[in-house]
Amino acid sequence: MNKPIRIALTKGRLEKDTVGLFEKLGFDCTAIHEKGRKLILPVPDANMEVVLAKANDVITYVEHGVCDMGVVGKDTIMEMNGKFFELVDLGFGRCKFALATKKDYDFYSGYGVKTIATKYPNVSRNFFEKKGMDTEIIKIEGSVELAPLLELADGIVDIVETGTTLKENGLEVIEDVAPISARLIANTVSLKLRKNEIDRLITLIEENL
Amino acid sequence: MKNYDLITPEGTKDYLFGECIVIRDVENTLVELFRSCGYSEMLTPGLEFYDVFNLNSRYFPQENLYKLTDSKGRLLVMRPDSTMPIARVVATRLRDAMLPLKLFYNQTVYRTEPALKGRSDEIVQTGIELIGSQIKMADLEVISTAVTALKSFGMEFSLEIGNIGIFKELVERLEVNEKVKEEIRRLIETKNFPALNDLLDSLGSNNVTYALKKLPALFGGEEVFEKAEEIMPDENIKQLLDELKEVYNDVSELCGEDGVITVDLGLVNKTDYYTGLIIKGYLQGHGEEVLSGGRYDKLISEFGYDIPAVGFAVNVNAVAKLIEKNGIIPSMHRVDAIVYAEKGFEVSAIKTAQSLREQGMIVETALFDDIETVRNYAKEKKIPKVIVVNSEEAE
Repeated sequence: MNKPIRIALTKGRLEKDTVGLFEKLGFDCTAIHEKGRKLILPVPDANMEVVLAKANDVITYVEHGVCDMGVVGKDTIMEMNGKFFELVDLGFGRCKFALATKKDYDFYSGYGVKTIATKYPNVSRNFFEKKGMDTEIIKIEGSVELAPLLELADGIVDIVETGTTLKENGLEVIEDVAPISARLIANTVSLKLRKNEIDRLITLIEENL
Repeated sequence: MKNYDLITPEGTKDYLFGECIVIRDVENTLVELFRSCGYSEMLTPGLEFYDVFNLNSRYFPQENLYKLTDSKGRLLVMRPDSTMPIARVVATRLRDAMLPLKLFYNQTVYRTEPALKGRSDEIVQTGIELIGSQIKMADLEVISTAVTALKSFGMEFSLEIGNIGIFKELVERLEVNEKVKEEIRRLIETKNFPALNDLLDSLGSNNVTYALKKLPALFGGEEVFEKAEEIMPDENIKQLLDELKEVYNDVSELCGEDGVITVDLGLVNKTDYYTGLIIKGYLQGHGEEVLSGGRYDKLISEFGYDIPAVGFAVNVNAVAKLIEKNGIIPSMHRVDAIVYAEKGFEVSAIKTAQSLREQGMIVETALFDDIETVRNYAKEKKIPKVIVVNSEEAE
C-alpha cells in the first residue's frame, strides 16, 4: 500500500466540520475523536493521515509538501498567500471580511489618511490599494473592535459572522471586503504525483457537499 | 547597536563538508551531461544592471530583487536568473555567432523570499539554453536532456510538459481587458476552480469560457489529450495540442521505466517568459519542482535580436537536500595517511607527502611537534597510517 495521504486540518471549528464531512463519506474517524494530545492521526480505511494545526501552519505545511493537502479558511489564504492549489470551496465556515466603523461615522469623507486596525494587514492593504487609497494600517492581535472605540483607528477590517459583537460595541459594517469559506488546498507536487488518490478523494467530497 | 557578526543573513547558509560534496556531485553530474550533449559553459556577472530584468514584460517583480548601486549611482541587482543575462549576451556579443547556440551555466541566483518560510534566497541553478532553433527536434532534445538529468539523481521522478500557448490563444479570444486576463491566469495557475468558474460564468457561456474552465483540470497522462481535443474551440489550438501530444509520445518512449511523463495544460506561471512548451520536473519528497524550463521565443527580441530559444534549469540545492534526506550521501573523502616530520626533516616530510599524493593517496602533513599528539589526532580522525620521517630519504 502507498504511503497515506497526509491532510492538515485547521484546529477548531473547521476541524469539526471536516471530520463531519469525512464521516459522511464513510471514513472511520475514531482516532480523531479520541485524539488526546496526539497531533497526527490515522484514518486507516481512507489511507489518510490527519494532521491538526493552526490555520497559518496548515498553509506552511502544504506549501512545503510535508502535508499533501489541507483544509483552511479563505481568510488565512488571503492573508498568507503562498504557492499551492486551491481546489474546492467546501462551503462550511462561511463568513466575510468587512470594513466596519463606529455607527454613523463617514469613513470616506475628508482628505486625511485613514487609520485601519486589523488582524489581517495584507488583506486590508490589498483592499485599499485596489481603491487607490493610502491608509495607515495598525496590526492588532486581540479584539480589533477596541481600536475605533479607543480612537486609535478610523475603521477596522475584520472577519464578521453575525455582526453581534460589532453591534454591541456601537460599530457597523460599511462595506464587504470578501466572502470567506473553508477551502481544500493541495501541494503543487503532491497533486501531480498522487493524482489518482487525490482525484478520488475530491470527487467523493464534491459529491457529498 | 546590535552586531550581526556571528550569523548569516536570512535565507542564506553555510554549507559544510558532506553538504558540499553532495552539491558539487549534483553540479558535476549535470555539467558532464550538458558537455556530453555539446553545450558550452557561460559565466555571467553576479551583478547586473536592474534594467536587464526590468524589460517591458517585467518578469521579475522589483520586490523580489536584491538591489544595490554602482559607484555612479546606477541601480544594480544581484542576478535573480541566468536566462535573461544569457539572452542579453546572445543579443549583443553573440549576435553574429552561428546558430543554434548551445549554452549551459552553473551559477548562483538571488531572490528575496518571504522571511521565516524556510526558503533560500540564494540557490545554485544549473541549466541549458538552446538558442536559435524552433523545430520539434530542439524541444525533444531539451526535454530528453531534462529526463536524463532527473534520472541521474537516482530517485523516482516525474517530468511534466505543457504548452502555455494554448492558454494564451484561448484568452486572446475573450473580449476582456488585461486585468481580467491576468485574474483568469492566476486562477488557472492555482487551480482555483470555484473562483475561476464564477469569473468565467460572468463573462458569458461559450466554447472559449468552457475550455478555459476545464484547462486547470486537464492534467495527468495520455487521456488528457483526448479530453482536451473535445473542448478546444478551433483548429489553431488543436494544432498546438497535436504538437504537444507528439512530443509527449516521443518523450514517453525515451523515458522508459525510470520515471513518469505527465502533461498539464494548466501550467501558466506569471513570472515566466515562456511562450510555448513548459517543462517541470518533480522528485518524490520535495514540495516544489526541482527542474523548470520551457520555450521562450520572444525574450531575446526584447534585447533587440529576434530569435527563438528553449531551455531549463535545475535547482541544485533542492536536489542535494533531497539526496541527503534519502541517505544516499557519498562517503566523505577519507584521509589515507598523515606524515610527521621529526625536527630538521620537514622538507623531506613534505617531499614524502607529495610523492604519496602523486600515487593517488590523500595525505595530510602533521601539524604538531610531538608524535603522541599526532597519533591521537590520527586515531580521532580515523587516519589509518602515521608515517614518521626522520631521515633524508623519502619513503
